[in-house]
Amino acid sequence: MNNPKLIIIIFLVLGSAMALAQTKDQIFQAIGTPAHPRVEVIWNRYYTYDGVTEICKKLAAAHPNLIKLESIGKSYLGKEIWLLTVTNHRNKNHKEKPGFYIDGNIHANELQGTEFSLYTAWYLAESYGSNDFISELMDDKVFYIAPTINPDGRDSYIKNPHTAHSPRSGLVPFDDDRDGLVDEDQFDDLDGNGHITMMRRKTPTGRYKLDPDDPRRLIPAKAHEEGSYELLGWEGIDRDGDGMVNEDREGYYDPNRDWGWNWQPGHVQGGAYKYPFSLSENRAVRDFVMAHPNIAGAQSYHNVGGMLLRGPGAEEDRETYDRNDILVYDAIGKKGEDIIPGYRYLVVYKDLYSVFGGELDWFYGGRGIYTFTNELFASYMYFNDKNATQADAYRFDKDLLFEDAFVPWKEFEHPQFGLIEIGGFKKNFTRNNPGFLLESDAHRNMAFTIFHAYHMPKIEVQSVQERKLDGGLREITATIVNRRMIPTHASHDLKNKIERPDYVILEGAEVQAGLVVENRDMNIVKEQLFEPHKIEVANIPGMGKVVVRWIVSGSKNYSIKVDSAKGGTVTWSSK
Amino acid sequence: MRHFILVISGLLLGLVGFAQNDYHNASQLEQELNKIANSNRSIFSLKTLATTVGGKKILVLEAGIGDRDNKPAIALVGGVEGAHLLSQELALGFAKGLQAGMGMDSIKSILNKVTFYFLPQMSPDAATQYHARLRYERSGNANPSDLDRDGRVGEDPFEDLNKDGLITQLRIESPSGKWRVHPDDSRLMVLADASKGERGTHHVYSEGYDNDRDGQYNEDGEEGVILNKNFTFQYPAFTPGAGEHSVSEVETRAIADYLFDRWNVHTVVIFGPSDNLVNPWSYNSQKAGKRIIESVMEADEKDQSFVASQYKKIIDPQGAGKGHFQAGGFAEWAYFHYTRYSLSTPGWWIPPVPEEGADEPGKKKKHENETMAFVQWAEHAGLEDYFVPWTPVDHPEFKDQKAEVGGIKPFLTTNPPYILVEEIVNKHNAFLISLAEMMPALEWVNIKTEKAGKLTRVTAELVNHGQVPTNSELGERSKWLKKIKVSIKTEKGQELVSGRTVELVDRIGAGGSVTHSWLVNGKGKVTLEGGAPHTGIATTVIELK
Repeated sequence: MNNPKLIIIIFLVLGSAMALAQTKDQIFQAIGTPAHPRVEVIWNRYYTYDGVTEICKKLAAAHPNLIKLESIGKSYLGKEIWLLTVTNHRNKNHKEKPGFYIDGNIHANELQGTEFSLYTAWYLAESYGSNDFISELMDDKVFYIAPTINPDGRDSYIKNPHTAHSPRSGLVPFDDDRDGLVDEDQFDDLDGNGHITMMRRKTPTGRYKLDPDDPRRLIPAKAHEEGSYELLGWEGIDRDGDGMVNEDREGYYDPNRDWGWNWQPGHVQGGAYKYPFSLSENRAVRDFVMAHPNIAGAQSYHNVGGMLLRGPGAEEDRETYDRNDILVYDAIGKKGEDIIPGYRYLVVYKDLYSVFGGELDWFYGGRGIYTFTNELFASYMYFNDKNATQADAYRFDKDLLFEDAFVPWKEFEHPQFGLIEIGGFKKNFTRNNPGFLLESDAHRNMAFTIFHAYHMPKIEVQSVQERKLDGGLREITATIVNRRMIPTHASHDLKNKIERPDYVILEGAEVQAGLVVENRDMNIVKEQLFEPHKIEVANIPGMGKVVVRWIVSGSKNYSIKVDSAKGGTVTWSSK
Repeated sequence: MRHFILVISGLLLGLVGFAQNDYHNASQLEQELNKIANSNRSIFSLKTLATTVGGKKILVLEAGIGDRDNKPAIALVGGVEGAHLLSQELALGFAKGLQAGMGMDSIKSILNKVTFYFLPQMSPDAATQYHARLRYERSGNANPSDLDRDGRVGEDPFEDLNKDGLITQLRIESPSGKWRVHPDDSRLMVLADASKGERGTHHVYSEGYDNDRDGQYNEDGEEGVILNKNFTFQYPAFTPGAGEHSVSEVETRAIADYLFDRWNVHTVVIFGPSDNLVNPWSYNSQKAGKRIIESVMEADEKDQSFVASQYKKIIDPQGAGKGHFQAGGFAEWAYFHYTRYSLSTPGWWIPPVPEEGADEPGKKKKHENETMAFVQWAEHAGLEDYFVPWTPVDHPEFKDQKAEVGGIKPFLTTNPPYILVEEIVNKHNAFLISLAEMMPALEWVNIKTEKAGKLTRVTAELVNHGQVPTNSELGERSKWLKKIKVSIKTEKGQELVSGRTVELVDRIGAGGSVTHSWLVNGKGKVTLEGGAPHTGIATTVIELK
């Protein structure tokens, strides 16, 4: 081709076609993934707060009958806390369906929970109508998905110089070192690359040496061996002249120590802010959860380490989790180990560390909601090896990322330390999934939440039997079943009467007496004196039933309504 | 009513004159606070922190001279228990005392040194029940709550069966009852002791119906969350009135936020049911050593005991019991979580009465049963009209049984007759003045400059002249207290050869000091600063020769 004009035209045509993605007939479905989604999202990268907002809006606009978008509150800096209500909005009010709550990114640097949450909303909506299992799930249940509950911190992590570990915090200023000055000695991006990496200095009295297998890495010198480097911590200078570097950073508190169950102050455990829900972002979630008592299961996404965590967060709270509830947790957790290779089902206080006032503690302890926290991405994924070491991270970077994750060591004249070198892993390595490992981890974690959500209660009126009594009276006996594993009330809920009882309401006939049938075979019943037409049952157990009875007179036509906060509503009619 | 003599006269503070003859209602209280604020706007200011669900204001009156935020402050909090009306009078009474004493040098010098935050009524929704058409001892706010957690909100309130505007007791004659008439006073009911062969003759309930037929009377009325159960220390989750989680209420949040924003608060004085001014908390090394700290720290116990001894000397707390500790309480929070010195007292106790036939004349005794103790004292003090005589009522749930309503009138056992309040206030004012005088005061002393070649060695001691430490021992661990910052400011041309420009100190004891030393190269002036908002800041300028 030697006509330059034509080349430009062809390029423009191709270019614009590419921007619009492929046409339908150019695509063949990879099994398990919606091939022709209404909303195209690339799942091998991360999105800023604005990016997240854009995806939420597109999803809601493209699926008006499946996804509703709302803001449940504002962050400290005034960003919206977005929440997607994902269900079949046409068959029933979502508040009358068992609800599954998902959020991500409570820790600012733990990004991928946001993308995993968005992937879940996207997958559910794009699969509705073409996948029977997903369609039935969306007819029965509702998903409440808050992709990021720390949007301030998220954008700071992405846009400002940070390490892989900072900030966990939100951005309410806080005087970390108690000197009366606030956030006065933060990191300094000395080499100006947007990443806070390590400072090291060559010295014969250093206790580190170069790793002979990968000289980018420092390893401890043996006790009898001369070292060549000392480590000086993260990039920074002493800005306030107190002899410490980076000791009063942006933030700093831990939003996951701010929840209203077994809360303890900062001098018992570092990170707590003032009192439960003293942070506006968490308060927004609390308000939403309190206003949606139908939430029966929940998931919060963190990183890192490949863990499926349940409470209790602290040993002092061990008694809260009793046998019946642990059975449910175990069944879900073990399924998770099965479907997410490299992830382990663990208990926070035993297997990780103590957390007082963590989010999962409040969801379960405060509201009786079975809740998991997943620590996303595992070093297992470097080489599908559960014994991966730090050296494997270097090897993975070299062989699979072609050193994209590393800032090469470079000399720098430091005002306090003199000649040093700056380098190390970038902030977006080690905790957040590398691009090519993002979508598959998102899918597996979503599948875990779907298993959990599927097992929220499914209530049915199994049978209604009538028997004639003398004096024109009739005895109506109804059997109500729960066809899933999760009860309408966790046993912790029953102990503390967290959620109201379930109601089985008879309408249309005149109720003379109302009874809970405790043992049908032996005819052991308990009469309810107050409002006998509205029988209160404490719980409808998982894979179990309750039997209620009325003695009625009058109309032959009547209906029975089961009204359960966490189990949803079901109506049966004699007509 | 007998006459009570003032034991302590207002030596330190102008006596507060009392025009009032009953406990203040919300608008009267606001008027009083406004009057104080308007009397001198450079010293006093009145703010509204929040409005409750019941539409009442949470008010704070601030008092201080100059840079208030950087002087040790005493926060005085009343109404932590809504039925305890005396508490607001004690907080208000001290504010009025300060205002009345403005002309006195002693008061001026205290206001130059110490800032005061008055929060006289934390529970205005509940306190309003004292003045309501239907009077009962109410603790909960107006936030609708399901107190018995049965799924219904407010379904079983009190009912005024005898239409006297008061909620007292309901007794039902019944052979299965657990109560019997008190052998010493036929008006009172007492639990029968089966082991002594006693037989119950009555059921006793609060005055009302069992509207929801759950066997409990009036367990879920219009009361909402009890603020003194809504704080974070040992929060009693899911107990009636505790709320859905700690610090869930407008009032508790507003007050916690306000105090967290006031870095200078050194001591919180609470008028309420908890007591550590008569019965100081005792140190328990095991409980203090656990990660969830449940004992006062060792040093703090000593400081608390010292202040308590002053309190007892001034107040003479006759009739005080063994003290009360409230799970989820405000006074407990103020120490264990807010980490300030927390001093709490009910301010008044049912006094003992002269013992009949006592060996020594004038010996007094208090009955171990509070109800009996009250009745004995009421008789002795000549209180009138404190008892509603048992009168039969028609009760639909007990059609064939004898149902009667009666008992001690509400509020009287924890709130003294108003005529006694003036004396109680004046005694407490005397104590509060002495407490203010104990506050830490920092000063640079023993300032030395020595020549070391061309250098000057500057040495100085920062001393705490207060009778209490700069902060609690527990506070050393809290990020909600600043450290005591010791800093040196040099001028152009000077170089600091040794010594840090900024150093942080955890705590300076009563009468204690810390010594700092610097080597400075150069001439001119250096400035030393030492302190924190809760201690005040001491500054000194040193000339280098």
